[in-house]
Amino acid sequence: MSQATGAAVDVEGVRKSFGRISALREVSLRVNPGEAVVIAGRSGSGKSTLLSLIGGLDQPEAGRILIDGRPIWRDRHPARARREVVGFVFQRHLLLETLSAAANVEVPLLGAGVHRRERHRRALQLLEEVGLADRAEHLPSELSGGERQRVAVARALANRPRLLLADEPTGALDSATSERVLDLLFALREELGMTMLVVSYDPAVGARADRTVTLIDGQLRAAAQPSNRPALCAS
Amino acid sequence: MLTIVATNLLRSRARTVFTAGGIAVGVATIVALLSFTQGLKDTAAGFVHLGGSDLGVFQANVSDPTASLLPEAMVGQLAAHPGVARATPLMLLVEGIRSDSSAIVFGAAPSGFFTGSLVVTAGSAARAAEQEALVGDRLAAQLHLRPGGVLAVKGRPYRIAGVYHSGILFEDSGAVLALAQAQRLSGHPGEETDVVVQLAPGTRAADAAASIERGFPGTQAITDPQQALRAGANGTLISKAILVIVVIALLVGAISVANTMAMSIMERRGELGLLSTVGWSPVRVASLILGEGIAVSMLGAALGLFVGVIGGSLLVGALGVSAYVSPSITAWGLGRALLVGVAIGVLGGIYPAWCVTRMTPLKALAGT
Repeated sequence: MSQATGAAVDVEGVRKSFGRISALREVSLRVNPGEAVVIAGRSGSGKSTLLSLIGGLDQPEAGRILIDGRPIWRDRHPARARREVVGFVFQRHLLLETLSAAANVEVPLLGAGVHRRERHRRALQLLEEVGLADRAEHLPSELSGGERQRVAVARALANRPRLLLADEPTGALDSATSERVLDLLFALREELGMTMLVVSYDPAVGARADRTVTLIDGQLRAAAQPSNRPALCAS
Repeated sequence: MLTIVATNLLRSRARTVFTAGGIAVGVATIVALLSFTQGLKDTAAGFVHLGGSDLGVFQANVSDPTASLLPEAMVGQLAAHPGVARATPLMLLVEGIRSDSSAIVFGAAPSGFFTGSLVVTAGSAARAAEQEALVGDRLAAQLHLRPGGVLAVKGRPYRIAGVYHSGILFEDSGAVLALAQAQRLSGHPGEETDVVVQLAPGTRAADAAASIERGFPGTQAITDPQQALRAGANGTLISKAILVIVVIALLVGAISVANTMAMSIMERRGELGLLSTVGWSPVRVASLILGEGIAVSMLGAALGLFVGVIGGSLLVGALGVSAYVSPSITAWGLGRALLVGVAIGVLGGIYPAWCVTRMTPLKALAGT
C-alpha cells in the first residue's frame, strides 16, 4: 500500500449545542500531520461531537475546522473532503448487512467513482492488510465482532485517507479483541503515516497515542499530556 | 450501485413485492383501459363503415349514436345530395337479443347496399314480408344458431333464413331484419337510426360530411372512428373517464412508491448516513433511492403489462361487450404503460431522494 501523508487538523474556537445543552464550548485544538491523539473524557463530555465536527458530519455553530489549512465546510456538503481525506471507524462497525465483507470495503470506492475491477482489487488488498483475506465473501452476520470491526477498519482505509477518525473503536469488543484491533489501527497508522484522532476513555489506547487531550463538559481542559511516544510526522 | 439497489430490494422482499404489486395494478389498469379504448376505436371504425359505407348520418347531439332517430324521407334526399352515390337507412336495435345482450340487430332495407353486402354462407336471404332474420356468423357460432332455427328479437320469434359474413365485427356479431320489422319492434315506424352513405368516386368524405351537415341541419355525418367515439355523450364520457382513471392510477402508484421509499429511508437512515460518512455525495445517495424507486416500478410495470393484457379481455367480458369490442394491444399502448411505470418510480422517488439530501450524516447515523 502506498504511503500517505498525514493531514493537519486545526480546531479554532468551535461551539456546538443541542437544544439547551452546550456540547462544545470554544474548543481549540491543533493536531500535527501524522500525530496520533486520543480525545478522552467522560460520557457526554463532547468527545464524539468534536470528532463528528472534525470529520464534517455536522456543522459547528461557531468557530471553524481546518484540514490542511482549508475549512472542511467550505462546500455546502463536505462529502468530497470525507471522501478524499477522512476515514471513519465507529464503535459499532456499521457494515451493510446485505453486502459481503469485500463489498462493504468497496462502498467508499463506489462513492468515489472507482472502476469495479479496481474497487474489488483494492478491497481484497485491504482485507488482506487487516488479516481477513479468507473472509472476503462472507456476510457481516458470518463474522465475529472483532472481524467485523476489522472490516470496518479496512473500509475506513479504502480511499487512502490522510486523517483517520475513530470513535471508541474498541468500545464494543472484549479486551483480547480490543488489543488486536488497536494493534492493527496503530500499525496501519505507522505504516501509512496518517494523522489519527481516537475517541476513547480507555487508558490503554492513550498509552499508544502521541498525546491525550481531555474534554470536560465541552471544554478542552487538559490540553496535552506528554506521551511516551514521539509524534510521527510523515513528510 | 446496481448490486446495492438489488440487495436493498431483496432485503425487504415483502415490501418490494407489495409495492410492485400496487404499481402492477395501476399499470395493468392502464394497459387494460388502453387496449379497451383501442378496441373501441377499431369497433367504431366498423360502425362508421357499416355495409361498406363511406360515412354515416346520425341525429346530432344525442347521448349515443344508437339513440339517433331520422325520418325515413331523408334517405331519398340524401341519395340525391351532391357527391352521394347511394344511401340506405338502418334501424339499430340494441339489447334486442336476450341471450346475447351485446349483439346489435340491424333493420335494413332489403334492396339497400347494406343488405347487398352480406355474403350468405348458409341458408338463403331473408324474405322481407316474412318473420325472417339473417344472423351473423359470429353470433351463430356463439349461440349455436343455424338456418331453420329461431331467433327471438325483443321477445318475438324470427325464423333464421340464413347465416351471413360481412367482415365487420359489429355486423357479424349481430343479426339483420327487414327495416319494417325493426321499425315495428322499436316503436318508430317511418324512422331510422341512421342513413349510411356511399360516396361518388372522387368525393372526399370530409367535404361530403360538411356538405351534408349544412344541407341537413340537426344531423351529424361521421366519417372516422375517433369522430364516432366522440359523437355521443356516452362515448365522450367513456374517453374522459378512461383519462381520469389513468391519471388516478398514476397518482396512486406514485404515492405508493413515495410512501414505501419514505418508510424505507426512515428505517435505513443509519445506512444512508454511513454512505454519506464514507464520502458519497448527496446526489449519489439520492440516486440510490431514486434507482430503487425506479427498479421497483419497472418490476411492477412489467408485471402490470402482463396482467393488463389479460385484464383487457376480462374487462370486455365483464362489461358484456365482447361481441363488438375486441381489446387491441398496440406496441405504443404497451410503451405508454411502461413509461407510466417509470414515471411512477421517478415521481415517487423524488421526494424521498430530496429528503435524503437534506439529512446531515450525524443525524442519519443517530438513526442506527
